[in-house]
Amino acid sequence: MIKQFISLEWKQFKRSSYFQKGIAIKILLFLAVLYFGGCALILGIGLFFILKKALPEQDPITTVNNFLIFWFLLDLVIRFFMQQLPVMNVKPYMIIPIKRPVVINYLLGKTAIHFFNFLPLLMFAPFSVVLLVKGYPTLNVIAWFIAMMTITLVLNFTNFLINKSNIVFYSLVTVLGGLILLRMYNIFDATIYFGEAFNALYNQPYLVIIPLALLFVVYKLNFNYIKNGFYLDGAISQKVKEADGLELNFLNRFGKIAPFLKNDIKLIWRNVRPKQVMLMSFFFLFYGLVFFTQKIYMDKPAVLAFASMFITGGFLISFGQLVPSWDSEYYKMLMSQNIPYRQYLESKWYLMVFAVVISFILATPYLYFGIDIYLMILAGASFNIGLNSFITLLGGALNRVPVELNAKAKAFSNTNGFNPTQLLISLPKIFLPMVLFYIPYKLINFNAGLLVLGLSGIIGILFKNVIFNLIERIYQKGKYKTIAAFSEKK
Amino acid sequence: MITTTQLSKAYNAVQVLDIEHLDIPKGQSFGLVGNNGAGKTTYFSLLLDLIQPTTGRIENNGVLVHESEDWKPFTSAFIDESFLIGYLTAEEYFYFIGDLRGQSKADVDALLAQFEDFFHGEILNQKKYLRDLSKGNQKKAGIVAALIGNPEVIILDEPFANLDPTTQIRLKGIIKDLAQTKGITVLVSSHDLLHVTDVCERIVVLEKGKIVKDLETNEATLKELEAHFAGETAV
Repeated sequence: MIKQFISLEWKQFKRSSYFQKGIAIKILLFLAVLYFGGCALILGIGLFFILKKALPEQDPITTVNNFLIFWFLLDLVIRFFMQQLPVMNVKPYMIIPIKRPVVINYLLGKTAIHFFNFLPLLMFAPFSVVLLVKGYPTLNVIAWFIAMMTITLVLNFTNFLINKSNIVFYSLVTVLGGLILLRMYNIFDATIYFGEAFNALYNQPYLVIIPLALLFVVYKLNFNYIKNGFYLDGAISQKVKEADGLELNFLNRFGKIAPFLKNDIKLIWRNVRPKQVMLMSFFFLFYGLVFFTQKIYMDKPAVLAFASMFITGGFLISFGQLVPSWDSEYYKMLMSQNIPYRQYLESKWYLMVFAVVISFILATPYLYFGIDIYLMILAGASFNIGLNSFITLLGGALNRVPVELNAKAKAFSNTNGFNPTQLLISLPKIFLPMVLFYIPYKLINFNAGLLVLGLSGIIGILFKNVIFNLIERIYQKGKYKTIAAFSEKK
Repeated sequence: MITTTQLSKAYNAVQVLDIEHLDIPKGQSFGLVGNNGAGKTTYFSLLLDLIQPTTGRIENNGVLVHESEDWKPFTSAFIDESFLIGYLTAEEYFYFIGDLRGQSKADVDALLAQFEDFFHGEILNQKKYLRDLSKGNQKKAGIVAALIGNPEVIILDEPFANLDPTTQIRLKGIIKDLAQTKGITVLVSSHDLLHVTDVCERIVVLEKGKIVKDLETNEATLKELEAHFAGETAV
């Protein structure tokens, strides 16, 4: 039986949409996996030596243990957003004569073979090997390694339990947020206790029994959950959420584009995928921290210009590149209605502009890095509003990949709305702000660079009508192709 | 109202639709029948300018469909679930369509009030998004949405499929009423011969993209259609 399952799985994998895509995407995906895998591997090998050097007075394993809790929390958060409960495709197996436990064990076992579980393996394994080579006690290291992998799997299964209800997730977030605040204000530091726990796990190898028991418990919980819900109306059915009474009447002031704006906001609010995009774009806000805190970038202003654009452009880029794919599910209807493309596109544009403004306000704390940086973010925001928004919409016209609104994007298996054209169109987004800033900066000075970058956006807004006409024409031209592509089965 | 001339559609040299000439007068209830792949949906998609004709043209009230968009204000359609916006409730969807077709909330409400029977208490005030409704209820919502904004041409692809018997009967009443008393041109396709003969004044049979029969509906029509399709399967 398992053999057949595996062959089915292989077919699903081989015939899935992303494998049918062009060779370029395959290579890119392969490189991405290689990159992240490689990073983990290198970190795993190098970690011991890095820590030895950074904190010579502390045993690297102790340092690692003290920080482990953050690693696992991050792991859990990423899982929550990216990993989907695997029970959805259980339907075809329900009436064929296989014992339920077999199917369930298979489904759950399958989730263990996930990229998110391999990543920790790639990190902890070389780290443990280094420990062994350095003469740490074999038994302790191996028990610790097993414990780490077990905890990873515990998280794997805990995630599915959390995923069932938002209440669990939000209470978890509240508790975590509380602990972080308490630590920040030095009232109570929970990480110490977690650190001690992990150190204990290392020092007393027999304690490895605890995570193993925990794994057994969460596995059993998942098993029972799926078993009890092994009916069409049970766990495998998708949750039917009660409709919220979102009115949004205040948007009526936008006149003709108001219906679209209202729809777009409901689109983001009520669907899994766009919600995910919105949350992700929030993280773009912190992009600057990577660059502004590093000395090496401080005298490379072109890179800073790029970073500044990214801070306010998160939503614009990640949401905008999937216009019109967001409406792919009902695109035919829109096209048979009496609506000008203009209004439809303008609504998306306003949404993106609005997001840039909000991001800019949220970026106020960057003042800490000095007025120059802040002005640069302002110039970047202007570029985003006046130029980048149009480039992004233009890119959308060439993007004809349907998006499933209510399914989570899966890491490395989701190429929805991702194709070489998209990649090509993203090049000007990245390089244009750098060029716009760098040339006047080199020729005149820093302020001239800022001015040009900022002005580019204002000029874009001045020519808004002309640009919209152009975009509209391109959308119109691609109409039939887009409809055909969107009606293709996923 | 709708004049089709020399219309053909081919995919990779495979002809899926080839209509020499077809004239649908204003206020006619027009039925399109044919087996799977006969070209019914293709024809409707061409009518809505969702695909491009390989040759020929369709004129809708004097407007060339594939050249101008001026047919849109007086034409509406429900082809399949992809005409619904899954994350809206039925009311929100109706108001949205109303907005697009220049109808106020009150206009839409007035129209919806006429269809209370048809909805059977399963569409309005459900606190459910359209994506969570059953196929039949989705269809009900889609059909009524196609009536918003006083269209003169209404295109319904397989409106009877997935509906429960009560609703099928009510829908027949609605379609008859639209054509006979309101003078609206209604185009319907169906696999159910009984329903089309009940509802439509004229029935056209498509076979592999070509018109093989064009009948004024009378008592003998159902028999004739049944004989036609039975014969076809026997071959």
